[in-house]
Amino acid sequence: MLAFIVRRLLLSIPTLIGVMMVVFLLLYVAPGDPVQDMVGERADAETIARLRKDLNLDEPLPKQFILYAGGVLKGDLGNSYITQRPIIQDIKERFPKTLLLAGSAMLLASILGITIGVLSARNPGGWFDRMGLGLAYLGISFPVYWVGLILILIFAVTLKWLPPSGYGGIEYLVLPALALGSRSIAFLARVTRSSMLEVLGGDFVRTARAKGLRERVVIGRHALRNAMIPIITVLGLDFGYYLTGSILTETIFSWPGIGRYVVNAIARRDLPAINGTVLFLSLVFVLVNLITDLAYAKADPRVAYS
Amino acid sequence: MNIPCKVLLILVVATACTGGESSPARQTLIDSRDTYDPRSLDPALSTDVPTGRAVGYIFDGLVRFTPDAQVVPGLAHTWDISADGMTYTFHLRNGVKFHDGRPFTSRNVINSFQRVLDPATKGGRGWPLFPIAGAQDYAAGRGGNRISGLTAPDDSTVVIRLKEPLTIFPKLLAMPVAHIVPDSVPANFGENPIGTGPWKFVEWRHDDYLKFARNDAYFDTPPKADSLMARIVPEPSTAVAEFESGNVDVLYVPEGETRNWEQTDEKKAMLESAPALRVFYVAINTTRGPLANVKVRQALNYATDSKAILDGIVSGRGSLAAGVIPPSLAGADTTRAGYTRDIAKAKQLLTEAGFANGIDIELWSSQTPPFPRIAQAIQANMREAGIRVTLVQRDASSMREASRAGQTDMALKDWFADYPDAENFLFPLLHTANRGVGGNVSFYSNPQFDRLVDASHREQDEAKRSELYKQADVLAFNDAPMVYLFFYKELYAVQPWIRNFKVPTIFTGQRWTDVEIKRP
Repeated sequence: MLAFIVRRLLLSIPTLIGVMMVVFLLLYVAPGDPVQDMVGERADAETIARLRKDLNLDEPLPKQFILYAGGVLKGDLGNSYITQRPIIQDIKERFPKTLLLAGSAMLLASILGITIGVLSARNPGGWFDRMGLGLAYLGISFPVYWVGLILILIFAVTLKWLPPSGYGGIEYLVLPALALGSRSIAFLARVTRSSMLEVLGGDFVRTARAKGLRERVVIGRHALRNAMIPIITVLGLDFGYYLTGSILTETIFSWPGIGRYVVNAIARRDLPAINGTVLFLSLVFVLVNLITDLAYAKADPRVAYS
Repeated sequence: MNIPCKVLLILVVATACTGGESSPARQTLIDSRDTYDPRSLDPALSTDVPTGRAVGYIFDGLVRFTPDAQVVPGLAHTWDISADGMTYTFHLRNGVKFHDGRPFTSRNVINSFQRVLDPATKGGRGWPLFPIAGAQDYAAGRGGNRISGLTAPDDSTVVIRLKEPLTIFPKLLAMPVAHIVPDSVPANFGENPIGTGPWKFVEWRHDDYLKFARNDAYFDTPPKADSLMARIVPEPSTAVAEFESGNVDVLYVPEGETRNWEQTDEKKAMLESAPALRVFYVAINTTRGPLANVKVRQALNYATDSKAILDGIVSGRGSLAAGVIPPSLAGADTTRAGYTRDIAKAKQLLTEAGFANGIDIELWSSQTPPFPRIAQAIQANMREAGIRVTLVQRDASSMREASRAGQTDMALKDWFADYPDAENFLFPLLHTANRGVGGNVSFYSNPQFDRLVDASHREQDEAKRSELYKQADVLAFNDAPMVYLFFYKELYAVQPWIRNFKVPTIFTGQRWTDVEIKRP
């Protein structure tokens, strides 16, 4: 398995180089001028030309790329054009906050989603199943910013149980995690339900029941474990998505994470910040995929790594 | 512990942690107006609004703005202007200390200005200091190691010689970029600022909040409150929720909420407003195709229903524009009749210009609300007059680049003042010298207009200067290098427990020094 991990990590290097090149090229051809965003209104041509030269923006594209890639190889993602702070420091400050939010959302989603899914599958067509499915449809259909604003309105403004937004203790985490996780709760509930229904119809489940095992053991130990593969797939995909795509949730809840950072960077054409963050997030995605693959083996020993 | 218990516990703990609305037991004033993280807290990098506001708390300039946009003494207690208007002598206050205890002297002024202009600073905002003799050369690395127009004869005097007379120069010095920093600042000064201002910097959590504490040794009256927090809230609806929960003291009321607030008595009582130094307009590129014809440009103005746009899209928050000078500034002519909507007249002007079959043009706008909706309204308005408008929507950065490069027929824009003077509208938006990157994306060029604005730069008599502004404004108005839409109005909600908060006309005008939380 160690060999598998090493090989996968080595394989990710060309992926990351590819990401770096594509992002660099995209930003190069995209309209907008980082220097004009730096200087703001009432610029003068001389200052703009000088800054462009200082930032090597007047060099040909291949040379710009080599200069940047050289820095990355040395572990230097450069400094932001706008704030002049090192990009690495910015990522270090913000990513843990995004990780905390994404992790909490996933935890919430797995607990609620899988529970609803399993309970629904136990009695398909029953009242709980129908209610669960209805909720799942709602959860998938409502956009996250809408859910976020409704949660703020109910739990913060009206009931005053939780603060509307900001970053701090667990009370600040509950609403954004719920908003971010709502889609996953719904999705996981549905996947778990269908996967469980398939498994519950299997011979080994009938055998387990026939040999007199209690229903709890049949469901928990025999059926759920066999139903895990699609659930892990969904979890893995969603987790990666949350780490990179929680922009709306972070904006609604004033959560100081990496999603807002990268959106601001894009709006201001802060090239090193965009390049650095995208590269970092690609690495995160690669790692999450690797962990997902490893989790398959844990759930199903028949999965072999070769 | 099972799951439902855990959730319940979280809720109970959370409830215990949050305070009620009616009891602002806190001593800290909390602002909610910043929507994004400041660029830096270094005056030399203050190119955006959150940065400018924070710099204004921590630092002082030689002069500063009041909430109603008057220029009052800052670090300089008085100043003299030579008869030719070329030399400004600033007399500095004695005994002023930076937050770290170091004394403030004239040398700090020289060094701060040099630092802003130094190419190594890479701030990019040298223009407010460019009127100083030798400043532009220094910024371009040509001027040797000092700025020729800047001298300090003694510790409490700074003499500034300009390259040509500029009456509004003190207003430029009130801008955040001209605020004074101590000598030998460290590389991370933008994160650890030290100034002379009424608030000392305490903490900056990026994308979250900034915290400041009262500077008891402030040379002017120190702030009444202990501390000040500027929260960064990107989503306007969230800021409203924070305000309604009593967690913030001041709210910038979002456009979409205006009617709701104005029509609810309880909310209306908390509203405060002030005319903003901000104009919404469509820059018409006067060099492109049919738009070079003044009649076509006037037709565009007659075709546009500015009143419906003002009332329907921005909830009537403002007043119609007939010129670029906001009504609260000297030089504004509030009696001038605007281009009131008149489709027949628009069609007639187009026919006279030789475009009886109408014209096809592009209107660019950014994706930031309310611009897309205004653009759609203009498109519909103009269609009735036979002007076929194609909408082009880009992000703000792309649009700015294209309009400055002269690639847009029409660009829907707004303009905020950096300093409260009609010159801040006439010169950047319409003077020949500022075509393109300088801000004149109409590429308007009228020698007579330029002469009037240039003369206003030299004119020291306030009344005569206003007259020059008025003449320049009406001249451009008749040439119609833009579709004049409206001047904006600031609308704030202020909590009932807050005393002495005045809505600032210029964004750096409110330093929270008089503001306090009322105790029951």
